[in-house]
Amino acid sequence: MALEDFKADALRCTRCSYCKWIPFDLVKSHQFAKGCPSVDYNHFHSYSAGGRLVTMLSLMQGRSEVDDTVVDVAFKCQLCGNCDVACKVCRYDMEPLAALREFRRTLNEQGRVPEVYPKLIGNLREAGNFAGLPQADKATWADGLGLKRLGAGAKAPVLFHAGCRFSFDPTLRSAVRAAANVFTKAGVDFSIDPDEACCAGKAYDMGYRDDFTTAAAANLENWATAGITTIVTPCATCYSTFKRLYPDAAGPGADTPVPEILHTTQLADRLLKDGSLKPSKRVPLSVTYHDPCHLGRQGEDYEAWNGKEVKIYGQAVVYDPPRPRYIGANGVYDAPRDVLRAIPGVELVEMERSREGAWCCGAGGNVREAYPEFNAWTAGKRVEEAKSTGAEALVTACSGCEKNFAEAVATGGIDLEVLDVLELLERSL
Amino acid sequence: MPISDEAYAALEDIVGKENVSRNPAIMDGYAFQWLADLVRPNLSHFMPRPVAAVMPASTEEVQAVVRLANKYKLKVKPHGTGWYHWAAPINDEHDTMQLDMRRMNKMEIDEKNGIAIVEPYVIHAQLHAEAIKRGWTCTIIGAGCSCSVLAAACAFAGMGPAGFWMGGHSENLLGMEWVTPSGEIVRSGSFGSGAGYVCGEGPGPSVRGVMRGSIGQRGGLGVFTRCAVKLAHWPGRTDWPVTGTVPAYRLPIDETFRVYTLAMPSWDAWADAYHKIYDNEIGFIFHRQFNLAGADLAPAFWLMYTDPTKQLSDVPAILEEPGVAELTEEMRMSFQIVLAGRSKADIELQDQVLDDILAEVGGWKVERYCEKDMAEFTNLALNRLGHKHLNFVWAGGYLGSWMQAGPPDWVKGYVPTASAGLERDAKDGLLVQCGGDAMMGPGSAYPGGGNTCLEQFVSYDPADEASTRAGIKHMEDAITDAVSIGYPPGKEAAYLEMGHSDDRIFKDWAGAKQPFTFIFQRKFKEHVDPNDVGDRMYNYIPEEYEP
Repeated sequence: MALEDFKADALRCTRCSYCKWIPFDLVKSHQFAKGCPSVDYNHFHSYSAGGRLVTMLSLMQGRSEVDDTVVDVAFKCQLCGNCDVACKVCRYDMEPLAALREFRRTLNEQGRVPEVYPKLIGNLREAGNFAGLPQADKATWADGLGLKRLGAGAKAPVLFHAGCRFSFDPTLRSAVRAAANVFTKAGVDFSIDPDEACCAGKAYDMGYRDDFTTAAAANLENWATAGITTIVTPCATCYSTFKRLYPDAAGPGADTPVPEILHTTQLADRLLKDGSLKPSKRVPLSVTYHDPCHLGRQGEDYEAWNGKEVKIYGQAVVYDPPRPRYIGANGVYDAPRDVLRAIPGVELVEMERSREGAWCCGAGGNVREAYPEFNAWTAGKRVEEAKSTGAEALVTACSGCEKNFAEAVATGGIDLEVLDVLELLERSL
Repeated sequence: MPISDEAYAALEDIVGKENVSRNPAIMDGYAFQWLADLVRPNLSHFMPRPVAAVMPASTEEVQAVVRLANKYKLKVKPHGTGWYHWAAPINDEHDTMQLDMRRMNKMEIDEKNGIAIVEPYVIHAQLHAEAIKRGWTCTIIGAGCSCSVLAAACAFAGMGPAGFWMGGHSENLLGMEWVTPSGEIVRSGSFGSGAGYVCGEGPGPSVRGVMRGSIGQRGGLGVFTRCAVKLAHWPGRTDWPVTGTVPAYRLPIDETFRVYTLAMPSWDAWADAYHKIYDNEIGFIFHRQFNLAGADLAPAFWLMYTDPTKQLSDVPAILEEPGVAELTEEMRMSFQIVLAGRSKADIELQDQVLDDILAEVGGWKVERYCEKDMAEFTNLALNRLGHKHLNFVWAGGYLGSWMQAGPPDWVKGYVPTASAGLERDAKDGLLVQCGGDAMMGPGSAYPGGGNTCLEQFVSYDPADEASTRAGIKHMEDAITDAVSIGYPPGKEAAYLEMGHSDDRIFKDWAGAKQPFTFIFQRKFKEHVDPNDVGDRMYNYIPEEYEP
């Protein structure tokens, strides 16, 4: 793809501003009607999806040039995908999220990226992860759990992929260990990979496409060699990357196809429903669940497409063959909720903005690394919403979300426990 | 000419550095507007670029910005949500500041008295959501719930599908705060005399007749910063139990509500039905909505739309499904109505009255569209108006033609010409061919009925130059067609005017049937806008053009 491939999207954008709000049918209050953190924080229209399309058009038509402001416009966004959902309430010929990613890739190729990006990608290239931490420490999170470890030449059908943040960040350790404990208790035969490589989803969002493709190919190759048929991950970003981006990277009919990808909440839900897990301890807690963008809106199944735009009825725009329509409503929404409902004593109360209308935690699109203040502001808004439900705990299923919310709660001195779904499930077993 | 460093620094002092910009790319975010391609040279999608975009957070900041505009001879163009080409700067020759009002977004509801007080960036979806929780509701303008309440109330008539029952915002305006182009703050009605939001006309100044523009910000003078609108009783549930999934969410129908798609055997029967509905005072929301997709395609389109697994390319196959051709014929002269009862007995009576009206005019309920799935979708779509952007669904471009408002008998008079005109102009495939009748409009824009209109929805592809040119030609043709049957030009004329020179506009206004109005407005403008910083589209005639 290239910027020009989204020129028609830009020309057909009507500046309706639906992209700034959650789908209007879902609006339940004045306070929680907004959907786009970027434009809500930065205000100028250019910081919305529609505004970014205009910026792209302005560049394509030579009306303006790339400067620091344009870089800020392109990258100061979580790529949370709310705009994509809201736009598609009324449109079948627009792909805002894909356009925003292409905008970033184009600027990246020109060397125009936020200041912190070169360091981050350097870490991936040199250390194998964005944190720049020693890969040798990758599996220390599992110390003492007695988990099987993938060795040279060993075959294991189910691989537990912890993800970099869960692996390295000690503050998130209880969540990832809880997930492993739950599956062990259920008798799941799984391994971990002590040399687990980064999914590189962040590289994709930063516009480093070659780095992403290289990483994806290496992971797919390693998994094929190890005989992996199922990947289970507690990280929503890894999940979305494997599920949505890897099939495209692998290409149709690839020698190294993408294994089955499961989020830990999905596997736990299966195990609860087939009776392998039987929560018995009461956990008296009122909780609200935050839908991670990468698990929800961007957790839909990938569909390959190689087609073209055609017109019917004179000018009506359609695609031949029909283009996959990612509406954000078919991601992983029910599994985490079903797990929570299965825990005795847990009362689930929904936030106003949930499922495809969920407000982002703030961390996505590398905003956490590149724009820490914006990141914290976005997380703070979500914590405010969670608190408004009266829940005692904010539960989610993503390392980035959990980290952000924990910090927001601590900074604001807010009385709200932040938990992973599997952490809560473990308490009930 | 770029804004001077001195003026820019002064703006920064007023609103803070982070709330003002003159970056070219940011400015293009404001210059780009829907409909620009239909009026700008070389089909450009950009209106003139503002010299700066400014985001004030209070009335005092607005006042300071406007005073600065007077000092530096800059025009001021405010917008709420910023939609339509007339929300942007209009004239290349003028140095214009764009005021983006999004930081002024506070609202409060006086629950006891049914009054909402809103700032410019409160949209209808927010007000509606808060109102129904308290047993109130509000009219939502035809452009949809994404639009600013204040812009609709102060700078526009504020009409919508529920106007039939609860009136447009302009009728329900209970006071407003206005920063005139000279930088004075005017508070109108009882609010202006410190008596609260009781009456828009006084005690205190009433400026109802002079401050309002036409559509949205088009033609308003100065900046409206706050207003109060009267709410209407909401007889439904106070929660909002939306079900389903994007895009076709649904709202279950309360037992005291009814939601119908009705069809008529002829336009005469259509007009009779409207009159009888007015006379019998039934109907809560009353709109010809679904026909926006075109009479040939609309029934199939909505069946597609309400199935999230389908997309536009499925419409041809749906048209071939058993019964859909018959449904298409059945729905050619259809419209939607929501009845709301205050009690079970009330709704049963309304139901009976409606049945009697249908029997008298030979109309009927469209069975498929009154089934649970479609009725619940209709219920949500009409109560919230969150799908109005479907105007653009076929090809990304839509323009409205005709829309002359009047009694149903008068409106039905232009339907044949409007339909034939679209069919003719779409014949070569450069406009979407969805049937000659793609006309949509409210049952009545005024409470109690009597004043309806039908807007022809013309779809074109703004990414295709030939299609865009066909859209422009259609607008010109529609004006000719209207005049040929004795009707005034419609909405298309207002669109096209944005591309005309000052000279042409002033000559056109001078040639109007009642130029005195424009002369009076000039005298008003001379008083409140001595330095001509206000919107160019304010309807006045300069002295030298006076007939």
